Amino acid sequence: MTLLEPADVPIAGIPSQFLSPVILAVAVCLFCYAIFKRIDVLRKAMPDPRFSDLGVRTKLALVYGFGQWRQPRYLGAGILHILLFAGFLILSLRSLTLIGRGFSSGFHLPFLTGTAGFCYEVLKDYAVLIVLVVCIVAMVRRAVFQPARYAHPGVQGHESEAYIILGLVSVLMVTDMLYDGSALKAEGRTAETFLFPAATLASLFMPGHDAGTLNYFHIGGYWAHILIFFGLLNYLPVSKHFHVITAIPNVFFSNLDKGAIKPVRWGVEDWMELDEIGVSRFQGFTWKHVLDFYSCADCGRCSDNCPATSVGRDLSPKMISIKAKDYAYKYYPVFGTAPDPGEVKFTGDIISEKEIWACTTCGACEAECPILIEYIDKIVDMRRYLLEQGRLPASLQKPMQQIKKRGNAYGAPKTKRAAWTNELEGVEVRELKEGDSTDLLFFVDSCGSFDPRIQEIARSFARILSRASMDFGILGQDETDSGNEIRRIGEEGLFEQVASKNIDAFRSRMFREIVAFDPHALNAIRNDYPERFPVLHASQLIERLLAEGKIHLSGNYLEDRLVTYHDPCYLGRHNGIYREPRSVLNRLPGIRFLDMRRSFSRSFCCSGGGILLWYENEEEKERMGERRVRMAEEIGAQVIVTACPFCLINLEDAIKTTGNEGKIEVIDLVELVDKYTSA
Amino acid sequence: MTKNIYVLAEHRKGHLRDITWEAIAAGRDLAAKFGTELACILLGSEVDAMAEKLSRECSKVLVVDDPIFETFNSEAYTKALAAILQGRCPFILLMGNSNSVLDLAPGLSVVLDAALATDCAAFQVLDGRLTALRQMYSYKVNALISFKDAERVCATLRVGAFSYSPAGGPTGTIERLDSPLGHEPLRKRFLNYVEAEKGDIDVAGADIIVSVGRGIGDEPDMELFEMLADAMGGVLACSRPIVDKSLLPKYHQVGTSGVEVKPKVYLALGISGAFQHLGGIKGSPVIIAINKDARAPIFRVAQFGVVADMYQIVPLLTEKIAEIKG
Amino acid sequence: MEIVVCVKWRPDTSEADLTIGSGGKDIKKDGLDYDINEWDRFAIEEAVQIKEKMGGKVTVVSVAPEDAEEMLRETLARGADEAFQLWDDAFEGSDGYAVARILANFIKARPYDLILTGTLADDDCGGQVGGMLAALLGIPSSTLVSKIEVRDGKIRFNRELEGGLYEAVDMDLPAVVSVATGLNEPRFVSIRAVRKVASAEIPTVGLEDIGLDEAQVGPSGSRILIENVSMPPEGEGAEIIRGAVEEVAARLAEVLKEKGGIR
Repeated sequence: MTLLEPADVPIAGIPSQFLSPVILAVAVCLFCYAIFKRIDVLRKAMPDPRFSDLGVRTKLALVYGFGQWRQPRYLGAGILHILLFAGFLILSLRSLTLIGRGFSSGFHLPFLTGTAGFCYEVLKDYAVLIVLVVCIVAMVRRAVFQPARYAHPGVQGHESEAYIILGLVSVLMVTDMLYDGSALKAEGRTAETFLFPAATLASLFMPGHDAGTLNYFHIGGYWAHILIFFGLLNYLPVSKHFHVITAIPNVFFSNLDKGAIKPVRWGVEDWMELDEIGVSRFQGFTWKHVLDFYSCADCGRCSDNCPATSVGRDLSPKMISIKAKDYAYKYYPVFGTAPDPGEVKFTGDIISEKEIWACTTCGACEAECPILIEYIDKIVDMRRYLLEQGRLPASLQKPMQQIKKRGNAYGAPKTKRAAWTNELEGVEVRELKEGDSTDLLFFVDSCGSFDPRIQEIARSFARILSRASMDFGILGQDETDSGNEIRRIGEEGLFEQVASKNIDAFRSRMFREIVAFDPHALNAIRNDYPERFPVLHASQLIERLLAEGKIHLSGNYLEDRLVTYHDPCYLGRHNGIYREPRSVLNRLPGIRFLDMRRSFSRSFCCSGGGILLWYENEEEKERMGERRVRMAEEIGAQVIVTACPFCLINLEDAIKTTGNEGKIEVIDLVELVDKYTSA
Repeated sequence: MTKNIYVLAEHRKGHLRDITWEAIAAGRDLAAKFGTELACILLGSEVDAMAEKLSRECSKVLVVDDPIFETFNSEAYTKALAAILQGRCPFILLMGNSNSVLDLAPGLSVVLDAALATDCAAFQVLDGRLTALRQMYSYKVNALISFKDAERVCATLRVGAFSYSPAGGPTGTIERLDSPLGHEPLRKRFLNYVEAEKGDIDVAGADIIVSVGRGIGDEPDMELFEMLADAMGGVLACSRPIVDKSLLPKYHQVGTSGVEVKPKVYLALGISGAFQHLGGIKGSPVIIAINKDARAPIFRVAQFGVVADMYQIVPLLTEKIAEIKG
Repeated sequence: MEIVVCVKWRPDTSEADLTIGSGGKDIKKDGLDYDINEWDRFAIEEAVQIKEKMGGKVTVVSVAPEDAEEMLRETLARGADEAFQLWDDAFEGSDGYAVARILANFIKARPYDLILTGTLADDDCGGQVGGMLAALLGIPSSTLVSKIEVRDGKIRFNRELEGGLYEAVDMDLPAVVSVATGLNEPRFVSIRAVRKVASAEIPTVGLEDIGLDEAQVGPSGSRILIENVSMPPEGEGAEIIRGAVEEVAARLAEVLKEKGGIR
């Protein structure tokens, strides 16, 4: 038998040719209105130039957006999501087709007729079944296994959203199955199980010969599908599932300037003249940041990898997005009048000061987010505002002032900046004066100049350069703190000062490239300074020297101990240098090497460098360094090699406090190479 | 003209404070050098017993007995001393540099039209003129001071710089003066003492500090160190790891992000000497360090060091101190 | 409320290596960084906090040469309303008394309810100016003050005594209050905040405007003379005490006694 088609069946006397366009118009208008209201908030936000490099952006959208590139980092959830996403793409055509069926029965999209149409029908049916199964699995997983990263500590009202959407999508699939299943049953196409598994499955529940019932399923299923589809469509802009619409644009507009912090206000040179700087009100964010808030899908992968969250600090990156999105939805609603925020301050009340200062800017959140949501710039913007109010954590005030006065956080006099070279036997370290030239400018930075432990790394590096007969020199007194953390703490004025001092020092000397063993200095010079200079990390230089045969490795310092490598945040995540340190390590004769569970872009922050070395957090239950040392213990490592002086300090500290003194050694890559080239 | 050398007696809650005896020691010395006698000025309420004690060490004690002097008040003292010292030029008035005198000496010197040198560690008489030795520039530099007008001089003495030994001589005279104060209301009024609770130790103001660091281990017996601190008459402080382990509350933490201390003596137990900790120690205290690690940076800044397990030394040390105190 | 804060501009000697200058009457100051006296920073913060609570105006005054202008500008960035730099070459070499005289002459011509300053300056470590200033103005004063409460023309506060003991004191205004360190947390002042007050005027007030003559300031107006300065004899790193534990403990106890570590 043939069933009636929706286009031929009036509902309560109203022909579908009338109902369909009305429903379509109402749904689409509502939807457009909601989108318009959401975009309106973007217009009121701060500017952000994201329209350059369209080719690169398109590629990003294809790889991370359509390609779901980051999803498999959590394999189980990732597979579920990829299936869901693929299903959505495939079924979007189906939904269009079904809308058309409301106007004329047998409607097909122009290119989906004949064989192509048939293939699509099969594909679509599989998609429906897979999506249904995925939704059920997802709901069960969420309810039974309750993955920690889905939790919302301290914020109410989001528990049921996921279930609502999963439920609605499931029902959407079921309605499609009813529509097709009933037709399958009516036409007696029971042998097509492997072509139309979903429809077949549905047809099992239907009476074979009862045309009336089958018609009910068919027409009823259709209209249910249409209503739920448009309902879902309009639910998206007012729920956490807005990401369905905004995710790919979010990826398209993502940040191409890795490692750098945004200026105080895009398009404003003289930012000091602005009335307010940083983010105190919601509208202080840029439009892209607001888009980020809209796009957060509440997956929690960022917080799951955040070291601050992990050790019990108040910060959970996901919650910043959720709270900001809630704020936007509440004070810029789609429907109704916007309530008056009154005394509620965004920075301070919605996002607390403790959250804002707890961040080490390690970038684990940004490296994890499947849709490339940014966090660091937002935190820095909020810090900029707090700083202007004089609210800097007490533990950071003294070192900041020392940087202002002396150019280093240690409070040591500038004149002693090159004093570390005095204890260097047999190696002449040139202090370059203005007008001098050299091949390699060794940027020592404050820690290497003044911290006794780090001075040892500076000396090791000088020895290596000397053995390789490199022509190198240091700036001596003319060197100032690189300013990486100063900018990230929010003191842009001081950052500009130290940066311009260093740039002046660079300009007045001639060199081919700058080398630093401190990734923070590397990052500032490479990404943040207004003027660019060629700069590389010590590990990259050492790899090059080895390849060119300028130094040779021999010796047995490691003595068969198991070695692991800790990727520093500012070397790895922020600057993409993962390979070179490992390549150097693997050349050490007889080395036994194993990476920790969290390595490469999943590396676990040691708790921060630069001025953050002085920061004391009162909420944390454990120090990040200690957590990291336990990860080394897990794999039985006896030596942790790192390539950042601050990681070294934090990890060495943690070795002591975890009772591993004498059991695990922490050593810098440069020091290690020094030992293996001293023969 | 013979100089009159006066010492101001300081008392609190009915007892003479140790600084008084130190001032008397200095005063006696100066009196000898100037060939004159020492007199002590005591302002108090019902102070016969105190006056008697003082008279055993000074040839003369000038007493003003007035209930207004039961507690220290710089305004009342200024008025009284101005009246007493009028007509007693040339004079040198010595006071201990206690926190009470910090409130008194500067204003008093203006009212007396006298020169003032504070926190003097030693005195010398050169060519019949008084000179004082004090420290400047974060207490790192010694300065020798002289006074333009030798007729009226006030000087406050650094606590602990002058050691006192009893004179054991004949008893001096006690002269009771009428209270020069009328009943005008004072513009500055003492209300009450605010006691530090047992847990509210003032680490920042302490002169003697016993400070513990990571070297004390994970489950230390804090009482051992408290006993040592008590024996020394000092307070217990610590470095950050101790606070992290919740072994001591935060206000015990010495360091750039903790309390800044300016003690005279700092005994560092199991402290490595990280700059964040040392940055909290101001002035130039005598630092004595006990640490198992001979290469610990603390040994570079300490004056005395012991490379040993502090748990072996501390109990014995506490004993020895008790023996010394007798 | 009219609040005046007296601040000192002095070389930061806390971390520096010091050497005696030729002539032996002062240290060599040319390598040293100058900054506001640490105690006074707390005084300014307290003044601004009081102003924020009760309304009024904060005026900062410093007897200092023109190099101090940056420091005074920073006090404006901190929240002070106006700043004055009192200087004349004749002021050079003034002791605590002469400085107090200069300040008193300037301040007495202006309205004031409360004068705040730090108890001590860490260059001369004298602690004199606050009390002397008050006596010259004929008003009461107190030092090492914390927990300030201003109400009904009076000021109530705690002041430090010894051994963890404090006294609660009540004083009529106008008065001079010298604060203890740590009574508040001085706010952070960003470069931008200082830039914002870059064009504020900081008048220099000289000898005549203050109404004193040369004999009353500088060395002639001072009552104390510095005959010479010298460095205390240097130690050579820690003297390591060795021996059996008994001996070591005994020697340690001796050292403690000698150095004033037993009370």
